[in-house]
Amino acid sequence: MKLLRLLSWPYVRKHKLRMLLTLAGIMLGVAVFVGMHTANLTIQSAFQRTVDRIAGKAQLQVSAGETGFPEEVLERVQSSREVSAASPVIEAALSTSQGTLLVLGVDMTGDASLREYDLEGEDEDVIDDPLIFLAQPDSMIVSRQFAERTGLERGSKLTLKTMGGQKTFTIRGVMKATGLATVFGGNLAIMDIYAAQAVFGRGRLFDRIDVGLAEGVSIEQGTAKLQALVGPGFQVEPPQSRGTHFQSMSRGLTVSINLASLFALLIGVFIIFNSFSIAITQRCGEIGVLRALGATSGQVRRLFLLESIVLGLCGSLLGVFAGLWMARGIVPGLAGTLQEVFGHALSADEITISTPLAALAVVIGVLASLVGGYVPAHSAARVDPVKALLKGRTQVLSEGENRLRQKLAAACIVGCALLLGLGNRNEYFYPGYLLGIVSMILLAPAMSMWLARALRPILKLIWPVEGALAADSLIQAPRRTSATVTALMLSLALAVGFAGVSRAIYDSLLDWMNHTLNPDLYVSPSRSITAKTFRFPATMGDELRALEGVEEVQPVRNARVLINGAPVMAVSIDIKAITDRVRVRPVEGNREELVRLGAQGKGVIISDNLSLIRNIHRGDILEIPTPRGVLKLPVLGSSVDYSDQQGSFLIDKSLFQKYWGDDTANIFRIHVRKGYSRDRVREAILKRWADSHEIFVYTNEGIREYILKLTDQWFGLTYIQLAVALVVAILGIVNTLTVSITDRRRELGVLQAVGGLRNQIRRTIWLEAVSIGAVGLVMGAAAGIVMIYFNLHMLHRDLGGLRVDFTFPYAFMAMMVPVIGLCSFVAAIWPAEAAVRASLVESLEYE
Amino acid sequence: MSKWIALLLASCALAQDPRQIIEEVQRRNRSQSQRYEGTLTVTSAKSRVAEKKWRYERIGSFGDSKAVLRFLDPPEVKGVALLVHNHRERSSDQWMWTPELQRDRRIALQDRSTRFFGTDFSFEDLEERDVDQFDFKLLGEEKFDGQMCWKLESRPRQNKRSQYTHSYLWVRKDLFVFVAVEGYKVKELMRRIAYRDYENVKGLWTAKTMEVFDTKRNSRTTMKLEKLEYNIPVKEDEFTLQALRRPQ
Repeated sequence: MKLLRLLSWPYVRKHKLRMLLTLAGIMLGVAVFVGMHTANLTIQSAFQRTVDRIAGKAQLQVSAGETGFPEEVLERVQSSREVSAASPVIEAALSTSQGTLLVLGVDMTGDASLREYDLEGEDEDVIDDPLIFLAQPDSMIVSRQFAERTGLERGSKLTLKTMGGQKTFTIRGVMKATGLATVFGGNLAIMDIYAAQAVFGRGRLFDRIDVGLAEGVSIEQGTAKLQALVGPGFQVEPPQSRGTHFQSMSRGLTVSINLASLFALLIGVFIIFNSFSIAITQRCGEIGVLRALGATSGQVRRLFLLESIVLGLCGSLLGVFAGLWMARGIVPGLAGTLQEVFGHALSADEITISTPLAALAVVIGVLASLVGGYVPAHSAARVDPVKALLKGRTQVLSEGENRLRQKLAAACIVGCALLLGLGNRNEYFYPGYLLGIVSMILLAPAMSMWLARALRPILKLIWPVEGALAADSLIQAPRRTSATVTALMLSLALAVGFAGVSRAIYDSLLDWMNHTLNPDLYVSPSRSITAKTFRFPATMGDELRALEGVEEVQPVRNARVLINGAPVMAVSIDIKAITDRVRVRPVEGNREELVRLGAQGKGVIISDNLSLIRNIHRGDILEIPTPRGVLKLPVLGSSVDYSDQQGSFLIDKSLFQKYWGDDTANIFRIHVRKGYSRDRVREAILKRWADSHEIFVYTNEGIREYILKLTDQWFGLTYIQLAVALVVAILGIVNTLTVSITDRRRELGVLQAVGGLRNQIRRTIWLEAVSIGAVGLVMGAAAGIVMIYFNLHMLHRDLGGLRVDFTFPYAFMAMMVPVIGLCSFVAAIWPAEAAVRASLVESLEYE
Repeated sequence: MSKWIALLLASCALAQDPRQIIEEVQRRNRSQSQRYEGTLTVTSAKSRVAEKKWRYERIGSFGDSKAVLRFLDPPEVKGVALLVHNHRERSSDQWMWTPELQRDRRIALQDRSTRFFGTDFSFEDLEERDVDQFDFKLLGEEKFDGQMCWKLESRPRQNKRSQYTHSYLWVRKDLFVFVAVEGYKVKELMRRIAYRDYENVKGLWTAKTMEVFDTKRNSRTTMKLEKLEYNIPVKEDEFTLQALRRPQ
């Protein structure tokens, strides 16, 4: 500690800016980790909180995925002696000027025993008059927060867009801003379930039944009894399970976040490494004197390790706060994206601060700092006091060191290849992935030197003297250069990896859309095509068919069902009608057989991603829970289908209607008759239902645009991480250049003394910076190719089961060239100015 | 004289058997059908008063009767109806009809403890207390509202789902009619129902005023019976879900 105070503290005070930059490196790494995880945690917690608060005292919920189920099931549940209360629920989200309003449809005759409606005003009444509430279908109770935001009070009218067009509701009760009313940021409304069925076009279906168990009945007993009572087609689970299913749906996001956080921290490690290597270079004399005075190599090592711990701790603590601040900005966008992608209403107003996460971030930050500082500390401990007096010598990598790295890299590559060759299991893939990254890191110093040498003639061509000086500076100090280049390489590899994957997904999506989305128009009851709040009645299909210019109407009903505990999208269509117009491209199975047997209801066609994620193949039996029991259907084959991230299956609508008792539609695909104007048919549809239904008619281009926008939104989440990764890498460049100038102070002074112009010095430093950028760019592109390979495999095996082709993101790389060039140049401005403005006398006296 | 002695002996015998007292209450109240128009006045703890009117029709008698209760006023609830099918061996079945929605809904057994549409009655309080669904115990005799009464305790049997663990009943000795009922949940008094203004209608002593007091909420609901008729001609098929759905 004494050494820390006597030696380290004065150094920190003298090099404030560098320390700040180093601190910023680790801080940003930790901030990305904390920010992204906090944002994800906030969304998950908000979803869980909403579920818990809505569930109230319900101990179990009976559901049939997202499909809903006929009302008769309620009586079966209520008849159980294990049940003390059972209340049906419909949950839906409505768009209002004040954001999304979560509407709960409940049966108020018995629901109060499960949920506490803490009402204002009349302390004895839930609502003005419960009988009027039930008798009038326009009755609604809202939360105090929503009432205040919209200026509503008891008796006020509220107009909302419903399945039946604009509908005016009467506010018959206002809930206090506590408990249930705080759900969804207070944007909550309650209405009678039977009125909700009409308003949301649910027919005679319920979304779920909330169950309170009789005294003395355990959750396990209740679950077993109810499951036996309702049959295997239903899920009987505690309310918390809904959160688990949501987590399962958004698993892809969690994996992306983990990956990006890992990279951000790795980049931070290199910044620390760079910074400490620099510090050791600068404090060589100090170390030499210490060793000469009797300090052991262990003491010197401990000193530097302690410094890295302190720095890591400070950076991590700052990172935690920055991360929380970052999360605050990310959450609304993330919630919006997840809502759009999964069709689940989400609202997260408050950031969920997790102490274990913050503690983990600090530990990871300190560990990263320790890892980054270990090699420099080890080098410092082994410093030769004689060499220590010769500045710059410690930046040189010995041949032995180089050879060792290369051998290790070769071993890692062989290990990686062996692991990947061993099989497709996670136990082989992820260690192989890690070895691949380690080999890239180990090869980085040698590669950066080769590239710097290769750059020398080019730099000389631009400005002979400055170019040579810049290139030599890089070549002579590989340790200094390679850490920055490695950090930049990793940042770019991450960026290229993501860009490559997004490009590949884009291409595959476009291909899928070109083959599948061929109707002229799409009629949806919501602006969002993933939202499942409203559904069209089956009769609307016939009315659409009767319109002039309409050749064919294909209703589509999709909803997630739980297969082996995880959600899978069931897509109910008229297989014969759709496959007449859409050419199914089977990945597994025979096209003619798929279509024929599928249309006869003799099997299902699963999406390729479902096949990959769940290892389900042609000939397997898919056990689908339905309200009428488990439907066991053979898998006829698989085809590429991007309907859902967790997989989907096509089932003929006749079978769906039979087993789910549901003939509603989420969307109508419309083919316009030849010779008729698509826009006129669109107008006719809008006009026909203008007064009775809230409908949205998308054109073919519109729906494609919508899907691509959604994809953009999804990828937008990763852009933030990429930006931070690049900022961290650029900080590394500034750091490196600052040290480079300090190291070469005498050299630069001599250059000026013998007539070198200030502009020449500037240009030397600019060239050095741009060269670092260029080397990093080339290496980043190379590492990016490896990243794309691994990312595509991850996407294929663990994220979405997507089988997408390798695509190198040329456009992205082309964009990166000026970006990195410019950033490198900007990073060099201040160091260059510092170099030319330094006192000539002091520079010459240096060393 | 012998007639009086016989009556006295019968009274003594009844006094020893609480079940027989209740059976006698039910026997004396038996009719083929009943119709009345009722006015419900709910007075909240804050003296806020709400009023509703309904028409009630019943066919059959204790234990296996069927009843329809249809609201007449205020206009927002006009046409809302409740169909009750009472059973001897188990709790009743109840359905509610909401004309605006054109929907009927079953009132679940578990929901019988909830309040009957904002009044202080619970759905369970509207059920008939069939003698076979309870165990009775005679606690003694006492004066209630100036009348000599038997005080009985009733406890629901296993097949009867009830919000009350036990109830105390006061039965007028001279008329064999209820004067008061108190429903308890363990030791806590939940509701007290008082029967007043007894009037002999076609030989049946009927309380024309019923008042329920909810001890927890400190509010009371008074139900007054008007246009009371017994043994009027009503059709069995008027007490079905199909009939409930018919426009009135």
